[in-house]
Amino acid sequence: MKTIMTIFRKELKDSLRDRRTIITMIIVPLLMFPVMIGLTSRFIMSYEEKAQVRELKVGLLAGENAVEFVEMLVEQENILVFEDIQLEEGQELITSDSLDAFIVFHEEFDRQISELGQGEIDFYLKETEEREIEIRRIMELFGEYENMLRIDRFETLNLDITIIETLSVSQVNLATPKEKLADMVGGILPYMFILFCFMGSMYPSIDLAAGEKERGTLETLLTSPVNRLQILIGKFGVVVLTGISSAAVSLLGLYLGIRYISSIPAEFIDMVMSILEPGSILILLSLLLPLSVFFAGLLLSISFTSRTYKEAQSKIGPLFPVIIIPAFIGMMPGMNLNASTALIPILNVSLATRTIIAGQADISIMLIVYLSLVVYAGAALFLCSKTFSRESAILQ
Amino acid sequence: MIVVKDLYKTFKLAKKQKKEKGSSCADGKVHAVSGVSFECRPGRVFCLLGPNGAGKTTILRMIATLMKPDSGSIEVAGYDTVESAQKVRAHLGFLTGSTKLYDRLTTKELVKYYADLHGMNNTDFNRRKEELFDLLDMNDFADRRIGKLSSGMKQKVSIVRTIIHDPDVVIFDEPTVGLDVITSRSIIDLIHRCKSENKTVIFSTHIMSEVSSISDDLAILHEGKLLYNDNYQAFKNRMQTGSLEEEFIRILQEDKS
Repeated sequence: MKTIMTIFRKELKDSLRDRRTIITMIIVPLLMFPVMIGLTSRFIMSYEEKAQVRELKVGLLAGENAVEFVEMLVEQENILVFEDIQLEEGQELITSDSLDAFIVFHEEFDRQISELGQGEIDFYLKETEEREIEIRRIMELFGEYENMLRIDRFETLNLDITIIETLSVSQVNLATPKEKLADMVGGILPYMFILFCFMGSMYPSIDLAAGEKERGTLETLLTSPVNRLQILIGKFGVVVLTGISSAAVSLLGLYLGIRYISSIPAEFIDMVMSILEPGSILILLSLLLPLSVFFAGLLLSISFTSRTYKEAQSKIGPLFPVIIIPAFIGMMPGMNLNASTALIPILNVSLATRTIIAGQADISIMLIVYLSLVVYAGAALFLCSKTFSRESAILQ
Repeated sequence: MIVVKDLYKTFKLAKKQKKEKGSSCADGKVHAVSGVSFECRPGRVFCLLGPNGAGKTTILRMIATLMKPDSGSIEVAGYDTVESAQKVRAHLGFLTGSTKLYDRLTTKELVKYYADLHGMNNTDFNRRKEELFDLLDMNDFADRRIGKLSSGMKQKVSIVRTIIHDPDVVIFDEPTVGLDVITSRSIIDLIHRCKSENKTVIFSTHIMSEVSSISDDLAILHEGKLLYNDNYQAFKNRMQTGSLEEEFIRILQEDKS
């Protein structure tokens, strides 16, 4: 054990002095969530603000009709109204983006309304996603005007307006904050944790195996009175630790991002804080531990069969999609943790994390997840020790 | 003491290598070492001389327990290299020309690491470290990272790393390849020092001048087979040509024909 610790301490010190390890293990995971949260919320806010205040150019062809609506429109801030635009001209101005909207009231509009019919309006626009908020501003005006007309009509008919409301549906959402959060971010969080766990393991595993072979230091190490399993466990320990630390640092980054970015709604902060409890964090890390061993086994096995650092990088690169796809599938709606999905590595961690965030973890299914992860981790460790015992794999 | 008896080692070729070798390697195997036997005694320098690809590194790697022989046996300091590999490694130091060090560790950290792997206690380590650091004038760069040292300084660190645990047997595998004259000199001095301390020294090279300056016993290896194995003085007495280099070439050509 003393020898393993000697190797572990040396490998850890060596890895932590490697800038690439520090970047992938600490800096990227720590900054990823704050940057993502900060940029996204700032972008959405500034987009909405801009859309609300942008001056809209609205063409109007109403004749003598809908006087109240025209007045309402003209009184609006940031809406420039061009009256008496002819139909063909208005359509052309929309097509050439000279107008944002063109509203045409039927020439008999007022009569249609007064005869208790439907007033016809043609609303010309170019509907794109980025104009959604601007269009909504005009649609709200239509809604307001329609409501006004409806009230007038019911007063004229001497009727109570509530008689048209045949149903009264009160929607009461009983989902807990955790469940709401699981729905909103339950997919992306495990995806990020798994990714960081993999990325954190990647550089140390390349450096401690292929890198050491390439530098010629492995041969020297193998001539010391230490058995190969001790060397392997020492190296393994460092790769597992860096992988799990990377995921843990990303959790810390999430906490800091939520806590110190002022533009995040208070309700969202409360929801995220509710999963960042010691108990939930421990369960998440306990899932990531066997996954990290699984990654370390795979990565070190590949790295030991590579002659150089670059060769190991090129062999490990194609593994990324293999890791990302199951993690990504876990984000999809309708994917649930059950006895079958609990057996699929990576996907099971992704889905189990979602259920933990939602506070709905089923003990028997979670047990299957843990058992399967331990089996995969054991298999990866076995594969790695077999690779490390091959002369051709460890000597240049 | 090293005792090598009837040693064989074969390597399987990869597909690409088979194509490159063609009909010269019909069975898809390379017989790197074939029936080699010799003894290296304490207080003497045993020189393993052979051209590139003769099998020198393979033999030294088997002695250092990095590889297992297909058949035959090796005893180092009384321990079998297969049965008691760890005990063998505890008694030997291994230095090759291609040995690199951990660039991100300091000189002191690196030497301490190997001392710890050899199970040295702190008192023995400090005494031995001070002795070697003074001898090789290394105190000025003891706390500097290896990556920032000159190649001469690195070679000194390699030497200390090899003998920090005061091994009975020291293996040098072409240790001066690619080194300048001054750095090579430090290796030759180390070999003399090991000999004077009654250690068993085995030294592989293809540089003739090194053989003549340090060799007590000599073995000539060609294509995995020993062509000569006796003391160096006897070799010199039996030479049929004017120089060691010519004699070496003559022996290899005789073997080929």
